[in-house]
Parts: sequence; C-alpha cells; structure tokens
Amino acid sequence: MSDLIQASSRDIDGPLLELTDVRTHFRTARGMVRAVDGVSFTLERGRALGIVGESGSGKTILSRSIMGLLPPRNTVRGGSIKFEGREIGNLNRKQMRSVWGKEMAMIFQDPMTSLNPLMKVGKQIAEPLKIHLGMDHATARATAEKLLQDVRIPEAHRRLDQYPHELSGGMRQRVMIAIALACGPTVLFADEPTTALDVTVQAQILDLLNEQRKDRNMSLVLVTHDLGVVAGHTDEIAVMYGGRLVERAPTKVLFSKMKMPYTEALLESIPKIEDPSHTRLMTIGGRPPDLVNPPPGCRFAPRCMYVQDKCKAEEPPLEQAETPGHYFRCWYPVGSPVYLQVKERLADKPVSVGEVL
Amino acid sequence: MTLTDVLELATPAPATPEPRRRRRRPKIGLWLGVGWLAAVAFCAIFANQLSFIRAYDTKIKVKGRTGRYNIGPGWRTWMGTDASSHDVFARCIYGAKVTLTIGVLSTIIGLFLGGLLGVMSGYFRGWVDRIGSIIVDSLLALPPLLLALLLVYRMDDLKGIYTWLGWLNREWEITLTLGILAIAPFARIARAQTIALRDREFVLAARSLGAKSGRVIAREILPNLIPAMLTVAVTGLGILVAAEGALAFLGLGVQRPLTWGKMIADGQNDLARAWWATIFPCLFLFFTVISFNLIGDRLARRFDIREAAI
Amino acid sequence: MRYFLQRLLQFVIVFFLVTFGVLVFMRIGLNKPGDPARTMLGGTASQAQIDAVTKRFHLHANYLAQYWFWLKGMFTLDFGYSQVHSLNVTTYLKPKILPTVFLGIYATILALVIAIPVAVYQAYRRDGVGDKVGSFMSFAFVSIPALVLSPLLKIVFINHLQWFPRLFTKVYPWDNPIEHFKNFFVPTLALTLPLAAIYVRLLRADMVQTLQADFVTLASAKGVSPTRVLWGHALRNSLFTLLTNVGIQVGGLVGGALVVEKYFAMPAMGDTLVRAILSSDIFVVQSVSALLVATVVIVNLLVDMSYAVIDPRIRHARALS
Repeated sequence: MSDLIQASSRDIDGPLLELTDVRTHFRTARGMVRAVDGVSFTLERGRALGIVGESGSGKTILSRSIMGLLPPRNTVRGGSIKFEGREIGNLNRKQMRSVWGKEMAMIFQDPMTSLNPLMKVGKQIAEPLKIHLGMDHATARATAEKLLQDVRIPEAHRRLDQYPHELSGGMRQRVMIAIALACGPTVLFADEPTTALDVTVQAQILDLLNEQRKDRNMSLVLVTHDLGVVAGHTDEIAVMYGGRLVERAPTKVLFSKMKMPYTEALLESIPKIEDPSHTRLMTIGGRPPDLVNPPPGCRFAPRCMYVQDKCKAEEPPLEQAETPGHYFRCWYPVGSPVYLQVKERLADKPVSVGEVL
Repeated sequence: MTLTDVLELATPAPATPEPRRRRRRPKIGLWLGVGWLAAVAFCAIFANQLSFIRAYDTKIKVKGRTGRYNIGPGWRTWMGTDASSHDVFARCIYGAKVTLTIGVLSTIIGLFLGGLLGVMSGYFRGWVDRIGSIIVDSLLALPPLLLALLLVYRMDDLKGIYTWLGWLNREWEITLTLGILAIAPFARIARAQTIALRDREFVLAARSLGAKSGRVIAREILPNLIPAMLTVAVTGLGILVAAEGALAFLGLGVQRPLTWGKMIADGQNDLARAWWATIFPCLFLFFTVISFNLIGDRLARRFDIREAAI
Repeated sequence: MRYFLQRLLQFVIVFFLVTFGVLVFMRIGLNKPGDPARTMLGGTASQAQIDAVTKRFHLHANYLAQYWFWLKGMFTLDFGYSQVHSLNVTTYLKPKILPTVFLGIYATILALVIAIPVAVYQAYRRDGVGDKVGSFMSFAFVSIPALVLSPLLKIVFINHLQWFPRLFTKVYPWDNPIEHFKNFFVPTLALTLPLAAIYVRLLRADMVQTLQADFVTLASAKGVSPTRVLWGHALRNSLFTLLTNVGIQVGGLVGGALVVEKYFAMPAMGDTLVRAILSSDIFVVQSVSALLVATVVIVNLLVDMSYAVIDPRIRHARALS
C-alpha cells in the first residue's frame, strides 16, 4: 500500500488538533442556544477519538464547528481551535476551503441523502482530486477507481458510472468514505457513520475506517451516541452532555473506571451478551437539558440518580482522576462515599431509574 | 433493542438547534392589502352616496365646454378626464364594483364546482378520478383567455338564438366563464388534499366505524379543506380580476359601467397625450391584484401551503 | 416507459376532446334560423355559394362526422376556409404564426435567463439585503398583469426614452436582426417579467431546500467552491418545480401574448384570434385553438421527458417498468 495518498506528515511539535474553551452558540428567537459550551481537548496524529453523547448533546455541532461547516449567519463561535499549531477557529469559509477535503474530511450519518443523487459516483469522488491535487480527468478517474477498491467495493470500475440510487446503503457509505479519503486528509470526522446502516454492515464500516486510519496515519474523530461503536475502535473517548465535555479518558480506562453517573447510565443501557434474555434495560429518564437556559449547577443533575443539593447549585469543574489522561466533571463520582450510600438505598427498593425522576 | 432505540425513547424531543432565527414577519403587507380592498369596496358600494364621487355620466366642463381629455389629474379631478370628459376616478370606482362582484361570484362558482370535482376524484379514486383528471386537463389544455373569449362570445350569440338563455347579460356571461376557468385549480388542490386526508388516522377511524362516504366527506374531509381552499380562493381572486381586465381590454367586457380593462383599451391610442386615462385604471388593477396576492401569501404562510401546490 | 405512454395517451385524449369541444361549441345554433351555411356566409351569399360551402364542410352531417372531415383536413394542412376574409385558413394564418412563436420563445427563454441567476443568488444569500429586494421585486412583478405592464413599458421605453419604434413592424431576424430586436423587445419584456417573477419564486424556494441537504454540505466539505456547489450540485437538484411550471405557464403565456399583441398592435395569432372570435370565423377559431392546444400538449410532454434527462432515478424507473 505504498502508493496510497498519505496524510501529510509535516513535522510539527505538539498535538494535531488542540481545542481550548470552544463555544458554538446559535442566535434563535428563543434566545441563545448554547450548543457547544466551553469544550477543550487535544488529538494526537494517527489516533482515534470517540465523542459520545445523546442527541442534542452538541457532539455533531462540535465536529462541524471544528471543520467550520456551520452556516455563518446567527452562529457565534468562541475559543480557540488549533490545527497543526495554526489557529483555524476564526477562518471564514473561503479560507477553510483549502483545508476541507484536503486536511480535514467528513463522513455524514445518512448515506441516502449525503451523495448527490444526480451525479455519477465516479465524478463525485474525482471532484476533490481535481480541485486539491490538480489531477486531470483520466488520472482522477483512475484514482477514484483505486479508492473504490480500497474501500472494498466490488467491481469498482463499473461503479464509477453508476448513480447513488443504484447502490445499497452500506455501499453508499463506502463511497462516502472513499470521497473523504480521496485527498489523504490528516483528520477524518465521522458523524454517526453507522447509525443509518444495517447491524451487519455497521461493524464492516467501522473496521474499514480503522484500517484506513492506520494505513494512512490519519486521525479519526468518531462521533456517535453509541458507546458500543466506540468501544473497539478508538484510543480515547470524550463524553458530552448539554454542550459540555463531562468525562474524557483513554477507552480502556473509561470502561473500567468511569467517574460520571451519566457515562455509567449510558453504558448500562447497552444490552450485554451475558444478561439473560428479556432483561430490562436501564434507561435514562427525563430529557436533555434546555440549551437556552441550562440548569445552574451540574447540567446532568435533574436526571441524575445520585443528585445532591450541591449538584443543583454549583457546577463541578473538570477534574483529573487518579489515572493520567482521565478527566471528569462531577461532585460525587462513581465510587465516592455519597455515591455508594445512595446506591445502597436504591438497591433496597428496586425501581427503574425512570420512576425515580 | 440497541442503545439507539433506548436513547431515542429517553429523549422524546431532540434539541436540535434551529440555526436560523425565526422572526415574525411584519404584517404591513397584509394590512395594506386589506386596507386597499376595503377602501375600494366601500367607495364602490356607496358610490352614489359619497359626495366626492361624481355620477357615472357627469361630463366635466372647462370654461363651460367639454373636450377630449380636457383636464389632467389635479385638485378638481383627481385622476383627470377621459376622451369624453368623464371623471377617470369616478369611472374607476364604478368599474371596481363590477370587477369585484364578478370576481367574487365567479370564485364561488369555481370553488363549488372545482371543490366537488376534486373531492370526488380524491375520495373515490379509480374511474371517477380518471374522468375528473381528464376534465381538469381539458380545461387546462386550452389557454384560459382563449377559453374565456370563446365562452363569452358564444354565450352572447346563443342567447339570441335560444330564448331560454335570455336572462344572460354580460355580467353573468363573464361570471360564469371565469367560474369555469377557476374550476381546474380548485379541483387540483381539493383532490391533492383529499388524498392526503383520506389516509389519515381520523378519517380511517371514521371509515372503519362504518360511516357512510357522504358523512365522512362532510364531517372529516370538508372542514379540513377550508384553509387550502381559502388560500387558493384569495390568490385566485387576483388572477380572475386580471382576467376580467384582459377580457374587457379585448372588447368582451361589461359595457356599462365600463371596467378598468376597457378604459385601458380606450386610452391606448392617446397614451402619449393623456397618460392619466391609461395609468390610473392600470394602478387600480395592479393594486387590487397585489392586494389579493398579499393576503393570499399571508394565508399560505399561515396554513403552510406551498406556492407550487397552487 | 409505461408511465410515459400513459401520459401520452392522456394528452392525445385531451387534444381530441378539446378540439371536438371547440368544434361543437362553435357550431351550436348555426342551423337557427335556417341553413348553417347561410348563417356562416351572411345574407348576401348566393344559393350556389351556400351549396358549395355546405358540401365542402359537410355542414348537414352530424358533429362527429364534421369533426372527422375537419381533422382529416388538418392533417393535410387544409385548415378550412375563412368566410370573413374569403381565404383559405392556411394561407390566412401562415404569416401570423411566426411573430407569436418568436414572442413566446423569447419570453420563456428570457424569463429563465433572468430567473435562474436571481433565484440562485437569493437562495445563496438567504435573508440578506439582496434576497429581500429580490423577493419584493418578484412579488410585485407576479402581481402585475400583462395588461398593466404593457402601457407602463410603452410609456417608458417607447414614448419617453424613444429607444424603440412607435409602431410595430414585422421583421424577421434573418432579414434585419437589429430591427427585429427593436420591434420585439418591449412586447417580450411585458410578457417575460411576470413570468420571470413566478420562476424566481419557485426556484428560490426549491434552492433553499436543496441547500440544506446533506449532499450540499458534503460538497462544501470536499472543498468544492461555492460557485460549483451552487451551479454544479444544488441547481440541478432544484429544477423540477421550475420545469413543471414552464409547462403549466404555456397557457398563461398565450393569454398574456393575446393582450400584449393587441396592445402593441402586432399582426399575430392573438389579434387574429380575437378578430376571428368576434366575427364568428369558425374555421380560423378552430384552427388556432387546435394549434394552441397542440402546443400546450407538446410542451408538457417535453417537460415530462426532460425530467428523465435530468434525473437518472426517473430514467431507470422507466426503463424497469
């Protein structure tokens, strides 16, 4: 695989992507919607980061905000986004255009609506190649075919002249990946890449993404609501809630030593293979917080089983846990005395979490 | 059940931020439209009682003499005089009465016949629908103004031959003609809406309970058609008023009182000399059409009806 | 293919139905008070003339038979006889057709040429100043009937600025393109502006929707320039309502042309038709109606076919069925 278009490997000190206090707010009739409210993290070259949260947690907005893909009108962005040491948070769409597709690429959730229905697949893949790498028609077409082979699409040559509606959902997602990979981006954002797909196809797509990441020395940001998706495919996980980063840790650490009751609740709502069949799954009651008027204390407090008075009044800071690289935002984390006390009391009268609220 | 479903259940309303500010648009346009129509209608209805509107046949004399276009727009005659020294403003008002009456009556005819055709087509489908769509397509295949010309002229002719048509006068001929023209758009929207409503739960529920077709249509379908039909009716009024103007311009209008279209035709050859005899009827026509459009636009927004559907 | 044949069949039925309807409608009452040919020709006609006309047009036969003979004539380009002008309709109509065709084609093309860039710009800069001005203008122009616009344009361009000739003279572009342009410009404008306004409103609404689609964001995320995103990706996906309306508006365009031709005193189909109706020139009315219905039907068929050209999904769905 030596003729792959590799991610640019300029030697730069420091992380590939560095976010400091990133905010993305929308002006609406109801007031300012704080979709992303002070998020900081770093991403190293070649690593995979999972961003996990419910719908409305701000994860999708965060990824689009990093790429600068949001419509500029009525969007207020703040904080700093550094890419390879260069500030890109304040660039306009025109300035970002040389970054899009070439340095950063994106895969969307729904392969049914994300490809232009009136344009042949081959042309859609060749488009960024012509723009960024200045390829002529024949070279671009040949490269497109190569890319289709890379993403394991059979009969790649024939597919070039097909339209999206002639392909299955999984196949279209592969085409999207091919488009994203075309110019060898340094970082790839995958926004719920498997949600719209059949379960059997999901794993294949995730494996494909990971394999391409390693082959191309590319970083991957996997945005999803499904902890199961990120479990085997990321190095690190960031959990978002109500526009904030609430817990961040290396994948293994997060699953073994989670601190946030929210993360715990997310995990408990995944069906486990060892459970007997028809086991009731835990659900998180209530709704995500109102992003116009977020609760004054911890944003998860209204839905948290272990909520105390302090949680409702004061917002906890992002603290470091005992394991390096593990941060969380909670006054009474999993394993703390108050937590254990409440858990014991709840165990006495078994109720589903939803009824507590 | 995957986590997806669980979370979907847990979060009934995904708080996707709406990135666009949705401000309430000012309603100036609506009130301008309503205001203009109300003012014109008021003047037209009470033309004989209002002192500032001259009688239809009054001739304006300048230095004791009448004359072609003898006085331009000014304090004495607001909109000047026409070729036979008549007050253009007064004549515009008398024309408005005819035009608006014809417009409203023909809309009612079109609403009734088109609605009937559309609801039947949409509710019963099958061969009823096929016949309905052939009728609608036929009405649309002939350019509307051509159809109108044919109808009006032939009705004129036929009433001289068949005595039972004797009651037809020009007003009625034009009203009936424009009513027939209005059938197709009403039928289309009624059909589309009926099809959409037919398969909604509450209609299915009524039908599964054994309600008769007539009852389902009257109780469940018709009330829900009102917003769309009202919107089409108001927008359609603008089109019918313009069509009446075109007919009058082409020489098939009401002869007394004259309507705006005929006034434009009469002033045509003297446009360079007496612009007012043409421009003021034009403005009346334009403001009336745009008023109906402004109200119709507001209704379409209010009831969320796409323009393309109309 | 089945869908297309179905549409074709429907159009053919409509054509026959409407032309037959016009024939019957024009001939009802012709036999009152007496001989239809006498009514047609007027009081001064001799018995020999009446017999000749009755025989030629089978005026004593039933309507279906008359329709059949008329239709047969149409296909051999024998459109009948204009008793008012004592001419064959074919000879009479021939010089009148082209000006109307020019007017219609110019108006449609110019409307599209104006409307597409304006709508694309408005959708791209949605809610900006340009969009607001554009929306206001298109709303105003939608509401101006051809009858109002014609005098206004005449005052401005012909009477005041004197850029264009006062009297219309029929000049063909192959004879003198500049004179042709001068004569057709103002009438075309009167027809085209309201049409363009309708197109702008429809296309803008569809473009706004398309620009929110995922594939448009993806195209941007690939690094495609806004110009290419708009013209290469979004526009083509937004053309359907516009195209449908090009078909729908043909009828309205003919109506507008009638008024405009009469206002600018153009010796064309519209004027001819109005005269023919007013003088009961049966065969002229029937022929012009048939030509117009055929135009409407054919344009709508072309619009149907153009969907397939633009959208591969429709193309394939048809190939399958």
